[in-house]
Amino acid sequence: MSISDLPRKEATVLKGHEGAVLAARFNGDGNYCLSCGKDRTIRLWNPHRGIHIKTYKSHGREVRDVHVTPDNSKLISCGGDRQLFYWDVSTGRVIRKFRGHDSEVNAVKFNEYASVVVSAGYDRSLRAWDCRSHSTEPIQIIDSFLDSVMSVCLTKTEIIGGSVDGTVRTFDIRIGRELSDNLGQPVNCISLSNDGNCVLASCLDSTLRLLDRSSGELLQEYKGHICKVSMRMPLFWLLTAAHI
Amino acid sequence: MDSDEEDYVFFGTPIEREEEITSRRKKSQAEASGHLRTLVPWKQEVRDEEGRRRLHGAFTGGFSAGYYNTVGSKEGWTPQTFTSSRKNRAEVKQQNFLNFLDDDERAEYSFCSHSELEGKSLGTSSQFDTFGFTAAEFARKQAEKEQLQRPSAIPGPVPDELVLPATESIGVKLLLKMGWRPGRSIKDSHTDSLYDARREARKALLAFSSDDAKTHLPDSEPVESPHESFLEHPVNDDVQSSQSTPVYVLNPKQDLHGLGFDPFKNAPEFREKKRSRLSDSKEPGYRKTLLIKDSLFGFKSGKAAPGFGIGALEEYDAEDEDVYAPDFNFEDTYVQEDEEPSGPSKDSRKKLLGREQGALPGFIVASKSDYQLERFDPPVVPKDFVPHHRFPGPLEAGSQLLVPPPPEVPPPEDNNLKILIEGVATLVGRCGKLFEDLSREKNQSNPLFSFLDGGKGHDYYARKLWEMQQKHSDQTKLDGKSSPTVQKMTAESRGQLLGERPLERSSRDSSSSIASENVVHLQFNLSDTFTASASSVSCILSVPIILFKLITSLLGIFPEVAKPFKDDPARQERFEQFLKEKYQGGLRTTDSGGATNMSEAARARERLDFEAAAEAIQKGKSGEESLLTTQQFVGFSAAGGLQFTSGGTEQVKDVQAEDLTAKKMYPRREEFQWRPSPILCKRFDLIDPYMGKPPPAPRMRSKVDSLIFMSDSIEPTKSKQSVKNLYSVPQSDAPEVSKGVADKDTEVEVEVENVERPVDLYKAIFSDDSDDEAETVNPNKVEYPEKKIEVANTALNHLIAGDFLESLGKELGLEVPPELPYSTSKARTHAPEKEAADANAGKASILPAEKKPSMSNVVSGTSIDQGVPDQRGAAQEGETLKNESTPGNPFNSGGKYTDTETGLSGYKPGKVNWEKTKENVKSKSPSRRHRNWGSDSSEDERSRKRSRRQRYRSSDSYSDSSGDHRDRHHSRSRRRKKESSREKSSSRRKHHEHSGRDSPSRSRYSTEKEHSEGKKEKKKWRD
Repeated sequence: MSISDLPRKEATVLKGHEGAVLAARFNGDGNYCLSCGKDRTIRLWNPHRGIHIKTYKSHGREVRDVHVTPDNSKLISCGGDRQLFYWDVSTGRVIRKFRGHDSEVNAVKFNEYASVVVSAGYDRSLRAWDCRSHSTEPIQIIDSFLDSVMSVCLTKTEIIGGSVDGTVRTFDIRIGRELSDNLGQPVNCISLSNDGNCVLASCLDSTLRLLDRSSGELLQEYKGHICKVSMRMPLFWLLTAAHI
Repeated sequence: MDSDEEDYVFFGTPIEREEEITSRRKKSQAEASGHLRTLVPWKQEVRDEEGRRRLHGAFTGGFSAGYYNTVGSKEGWTPQTFTSSRKNRAEVKQQNFLNFLDDDERAEYSFCSHSELEGKSLGTSSQFDTFGFTAAEFARKQAEKEQLQRPSAIPGPVPDELVLPATESIGVKLLLKMGWRPGRSIKDSHTDSLYDARREARKALLAFSSDDAKTHLPDSEPVESPHESFLEHPVNDDVQSSQSTPVYVLNPKQDLHGLGFDPFKNAPEFREKKRSRLSDSKEPGYRKTLLIKDSLFGFKSGKAAPGFGIGALEEYDAEDEDVYAPDFNFEDTYVQEDEEPSGPSKDSRKKLLGREQGALPGFIVASKSDYQLERFDPPVVPKDFVPHHRFPGPLEAGSQLLVPPPPEVPPPEDNNLKILIEGVATLVGRCGKLFEDLSREKNQSNPLFSFLDGGKGHDYYARKLWEMQQKHSDQTKLDGKSSPTVQKMTAESRGQLLGERPLERSSRDSSSSIASENVVHLQFNLSDTFTASASSVSCILSVPIILFKLITSLLGIFPEVAKPFKDDPARQERFEQFLKEKYQGGLRTTDSGGATNMSEAARARERLDFEAAAEAIQKGKSGEESLLTTQQFVGFSAAGGLQFTSGGTEQVKDVQAEDLTAKKMYPRREEFQWRPSPILCKRFDLIDPYMGKPPPAPRMRSKVDSLIFMSDSIEPTKSKQSVKNLYSVPQSDAPEVSKGVADKDTEVEVEVENVERPVDLYKAIFSDDSDDEAETVNPNKVEYPEKKIEVANTALNHLIAGDFLESLGKELGLEVPPELPYSTSKARTHAPEKEAADANAGKASILPAEKKPSMSNVVSGTSIDQGVPDQRGAAQEGETLKNESTPGNPFNSGGKYTDTETGLSGYKPGKVNWEKTKENVKSKSPSRRHRNWGSDSSEDERSRKRSRRQRYRSSDSYSDSSGDHRDRHHSRSRRRKKESSREKSSSRRKHHEHSGRDSPSRSRYSTEKEHSEGKKEKKKWRD
């Protein structure tokens, strides 16, 4: 990948949010994207044509994260109202609400089968919710974090959470093990490389740290960008991960 | 019965109770169900269940009447004559007298039916309109009506005065009949001849009865008591009164007294006074004082007894004076007059005036008074007293001021040197000679600082120093000594001379490194802030900090000034960075680039060095313990590595140090056990790794679990957990050991690789109670259910747990070496100290000191297993020994045990641990993995099994062969403990010995070893 391949110009501007946009996510195939923000809405876009497709309104507070299932049928969103909203994409209705976080929910992800939702909360916990049953109780609460969990990633077998306590914790469901990689800096967001071998963690010291997941080594530090509180940039990570 | 009845004679009719009651009840029921229900509630009669009217009322009882026993109605009480003004406005209802009759009376009356009374209506009669108000009102209304009817010359409503009351009141009528005419006083009898005559006659009558007719009370006499005066008037007809009765006496209420309250009731003379004062108050300035003497009665005290009236014919005399009244009663009167706008000051002034003029009747102002205020002269200030406070300490420049000024020297051509010299001179001038000594000592080898010892630039330095001292003394002593002429007047100095306040500059500026041009300025700046606060105590307090900041700022330009690591520039750079981080606060950056290529252990060590060096610098600057710390400092700078002696560095052990130590190690990885919920596994389409395992135990247990797996952490700061860990480990790890022993197979057992961390002793002690309780009692109960003694001992041990923990904390600086994968029982599994102690207790005596002995015992036990000297003990112990003693363990020899002599296990153990940990971790990581993956999951099971097994064994395990041996150890260690008063240095010494003999890493992990030792001992008993 050469530098010329990097996207260097703005393709489209998606206008419509009436407040700060807190997260933007592509769907699985990259044809659509979702954004959510402080206007308490989630918006579905076609970023390639710049079309606003749908707005999902039900959150009582800002929406901090949104994720879509691989089959594009369901959405999960979370936000300042401490709830997770499980949406039906086409109808725009809320199928279920998951309550249980003690404070704001920072990030949320579906697992591979869209059967479980894992949310990361300001209440220092990761919570896993069952989408298949009608229970609204979390099926698992991981509260080994020492501070607010900012970001969560899921693999087929693992749950990875990045927390302000400076740790990236990997919870391996297969063998029942928790690996805690302490970076020493508050981790704002984590992202997996495409091959799943590395995790990229953006820290509050304006550094992106690339960790080898198997050994826990720090492979690289990226200090190029200057942002004290770096926002989540999934695209950037994708690229970075691809770049490596 | 019948015969009996026949014998009696019955009178009257028997009361048929039954029927009566039943019938009444029926009735009541019928009524209740029937019409009563239709009645409005307040008309219903309250009846009891037998149909009787219920009496109610508090004491006397009574039936309900009216509307709930009130005279009101449902709408509330309304007079019968009331008509709503809404419907029929102002319609006067004619009242009939029948309205006032009761029903029965009315019936009676109607029965009689007197026709002439029938039509009579009731109304108000003007005949009894005593004061004529109603009549006047009525007349006015009439007039108005008339006026409305006929047009008049005067338009508008008739003025009130024109319309006189048509009727006179009965009183006026009576008066008129008595000869009174309107406009005359009622009392007036002079004009009435008839009255005159009558008066004469009465006088004559009086003369007969009593010859005293002379009472002639003055006209204006205030009535002492109305009753009195009332009596008086009929008797004395010669009362003067005004010629005409005023229609209205306008006497508006102007004071703030309550209605009817007369403040002058008992002091009438003040009424006059007040009146006069009121009139006086209109003319500002001068006020006439009314002497009390002038009051009407001329009483000496001006008071009459309240309560005793004076008869009209009597005179006031001494008897009537109120002897009980307080002397200055009139002052009360004054106080009560505060409604006056004139204000109290005038009053008091007036009062004073009055008194001076002999205001008190009977008192004269003394011409001369005996009383004199005694005055003392202030103490005489000694002539030689200088009103300036001197602060003792390093600020004092001392006698150098008397030294004649050194000759003025041109500054050295080297600008840097010049700046440095000036800076140091400023500092020394401010802070005294001590600083010079310090810096000289510190920079002995530094050529830049040669001017301190008379090298190049020394003259200039001397001159500068003198100037600075001069300046300083000028500022501190305000004796006006003129600054030397050579000194240039800077803006600051001028401002100081003029008493200006130097501009506030944040002292933070100084701590950041500044370009060299600014240095002088900076230092002046600093010194100015210094002198500004020089006279305050805070100066002394701030000296070290500012000094240090200055030093750090100097460091930016002349790194040699305080360069403990001058041999290694990179290191020095890191050190500066460290200093900056440490004293500037804020978010810390992670390791800067240079440090990243270091091993983490090295980083940690370096961090500790820096910490100590910084501490030493600060201490050295602050001028305390100069010798010791500088020694230390030199030591640091020389060695670079560290031998922490027990000096002032012990205090460094703060959290920050550990934190910083830890910071160097990022990123680091820790492993814990984590149990996904089964449903989560199901949803992830994974097999539950814990499938078939018992669900996690309740809260307490789960906490223990989490702690167990904290044991893998290498984090030195988590001392608290590590302590818990010590206890908790046996539950998980012991099974492996026992299993290995039981099966006697060489199954590859994973050892718990427990990297020991330093323990914050206090945390450990504080947290010990609950954890102790939870974790020690449990295993004991599980494992030795039959051994009551053991349990009792456990309880005993709890009592001394605090003591134990203290010693434990000291031991925690040690680490347990990594486990050999092949030696199963060799595993450095933690046997709980408790268990070890229990074992000891059960074995030997139940001495309260058992705890500590057990620890040392544990260690010694380890040495038994592995060391040479105790082979005999080991020989007794059969195959456990075989398993255990593998002296050639390569891992054991890997580490190096260096027990520093720190009294407290602060950061130093952490550091020591750290490097070892690093090594160990590296070498050990495969095994750790293994253990974590393979063994953790089955640990619970195993522990259960083991405990069962242990139960079987425990019965016979008591008669142990190694008992005497252990006892020996006990006694030995106990003795040793006695020797070492506080630091348990003896036990440590022992460790040393062992470590010397054994594989050193083993003794390092003493705590773990203790555990494992306890485990082994248990095994021994079993065997």
